Amino acid sequence: MFALVGRSIESLYQVARGLKTVFKHTVRPPITKNFPDDMPDLPGHFRGRLALAVNPQTSEHLCISCLQCERVCPDKCIQITSHKSPETNKPELIEFKIDHGLCMFCGLCTEVCPTSCIINTNDFEMADYTRESLVYDLKRLTLSQDESAHYFAKKELPMPKPKPPKPAAKPAAPAAAAKPAEDKPEAKPEVKAEAKPQDLPAAPAPESPKKEEQ
Amino acid sequence: MTSSAVPYNLNEIGKFFLLSGVWLGIIFGAVWAACWAVGMLVPQLILNAYPNDPCALNVANAIRLLTPLVGVMVFIPINAMYMVLAERRGLALFTVRKGPNRVGPDGFLQTAADAVKLLFKENINPHGGDVLMFTLAPIIFFAPSVFGAIPLLAAVTSNHDLFKIVNLPTGIFYVLAMSSIPVVGIVMGGWASNNKYSLVGGLRSAAQAISYEIPLVLAIITTCFLVGSLDVVNIAQMQKGTDNLASFGFLNWNFFGAGAIPHYLDLLMQGKLEGAQVVTSAFWSLALAFCCILLCGIYLTGACAEINRIPFDLPEAESELVSGYNTEYSGIRFAIFFLAEFTNLFIVSTVAVVMWFGGGATPFPGFLDANTFASIATPFNQALAQAGLPPLMDGQTMSGAFWAIFKTYALVYFAILVRGTLPRFRIDQLLDFGWKKLIPLSLILLLAVTYIRELV
Repeated sequence: MFALVGRSIESLYQVARGLKTVFKHTVRPPITKNFPDDMPDLPGHFRGRLALAVNPQTSEHLCISCLQCERVCPDKCIQITSHKSPETNKPELIEFKIDHGLCMFCGLCTEVCPTSCIINTNDFEMADYTRESLVYDLKRLTLSQDESAHYFAKKELPMPKPKPPKPAAKPAAPAAAAKPAEDKPEAKPEVKAEAKPQDLPAAPAPESPKKEEQ
Repeated sequence: MTSSAVPYNLNEIGKFFLLSGVWLGIIFGAVWAACWAVGMLVPQLILNAYPNDPCALNVANAIRLLTPLVGVMVFIPINAMYMVLAERRGLALFTVRKGPNRVGPDGFLQTAADAVKLLFKENINPHGGDVLMFTLAPIIFFAPSVFGAIPLLAAVTSNHDLFKIVNLPTGIFYVLAMSSIPVVGIVMGGWASNNKYSLVGGLRSAAQAISYEIPLVLAIITTCFLVGSLDVVNIAQMQKGTDNLASFGFLNWNFFGAGAIPHYLDLLMQGKLEGAQVVTSAFWSLALAFCCILLCGIYLTGACAEINRIPFDLPEAESELVSGYNTEYSGIRFAIFFLAEFTNLFIVSTVAVVMWFGGGATPFPGFLDANTFASIATPFNQALAQAGLPPLMDGQTMSGAFWAIFKTYALVYFAILVRGTLPRFRIDQLLDFGWKKLIPLSLILLLAVTYIRELV
């Protein structure tokens, strides 16, 4: 009997303590962010929508069609179409498609990218009405120069060196000679060697060098 | 953080109070205007149009008798809208959130929008369900709360002429009888849904209501016993404090032992107690006050269970029963269930206010009492009198209504705080708590109060 009374007093005390704790939270400012009005301040390494950056200084497209991202993607959601440029004898990007409906935002593609071209942006509002519209093509993927500059600064990526001027690389011999001297990202030559089976003649129809199944 | 300029979240608290003020003003104004129009304006217009006509007199009287019903009918929907909003905003305060703040200025119209949405939704009859019972269930759940509220009107308006008609000599019994009907509606809804979760919810509700009705009624009976009346108006008026010590303000409420403490203090001050009497009398007075506080606690606990509020919301336990008895409901029938739930919360709070917290009496004599309100009302009434219209308000009624609503909402906010704090009971704990703890305790209190009130 006395144990019961003691226990009920104890439990009443605990309930009162709980009520007090909850009531004290009234004076704490809410942690809610008014989302569409105040966008969250995301860190640079936030893995949001994938995008292709351009050189923030020269606005050249950074992709060199090395296909590393396509190869590393666990979901196989990246599809790159490229051909060998007749002028420079290097792969040239024609189309770049990412199916964001398949993507799991693992960020592996951004890690392997030798030129820091493919990056995770901070954009996460990608809801759409159809699955088809989740497949982003080159145009929708490519960032503007300002956006690229913003993300390069935010992610603290090294600034890419500008590509060599194209007219200089036009003749085959100077291009070959210039190649070692070029300050291109180091990955480029080896990627080229690896990605290109060397059996493709220069300047075919754009479709023929389509490398879908590597 | 946006509110870092204002410390201690005054921003959100201020918004909450502003919202409450505006909504309560709307409720108060609408109900007051409706009652005034039906109870005074229309009868007077009829009598002015047909003077000395016995038929017109009868019609005018008949319309006047409708006042309580019209008042309740206007009050319930607006009040439920406000209560849902207040609950959501209040819970948001307790859980460090913001709550609904999109619809209208700062979310003021959120529940109005919800209500419109619910009314336009499709009424779906579940496959294999009993359509007639399915339709009747929300009505049976809702109607008693309307009828049950009516005698309380007389209590909270200081027995105003227009509401005298609804006062019964056994008012509190009527309220209790009405408040036990809704459970039939819940069981009906659960059964007619042809859904096992709904049925389990309905049956749980029956088990719970039967268990918790007993301590609830015993607590009220004990208080009636102490006061010596079943008439809610009487009970409310007996608690009215004066500025004289023998029945000082809030100390005269039933919550503090039905006047035992101020009575003791009065005797002590006048020196009528001597020797051991000082101690024994104090002891018994405090014991009676303690019993009354316990009774009030038992009542609030039982009421929480009766109306399926959060620590006892087993009939609609979301995580176990989807939503219990109202899983299959949609559209206006769901809206009625929703409306009734919040109206019931308001009614049980009103009963508690009338039984323990002094009804419409001001807690401190002279603070916002009838005189204050009369001085507010006079200019209005004079203006109306010049236009040949009946007076809009009188201080006595206004003060009663103001304090009754104020205290009722204080209890409603307490219920919201409880909802924000306590987890849900398990069904066996619930029945165990009801039958093994609350019922014996209320019986002991009944016995104790019987003796102690003779000793005080």
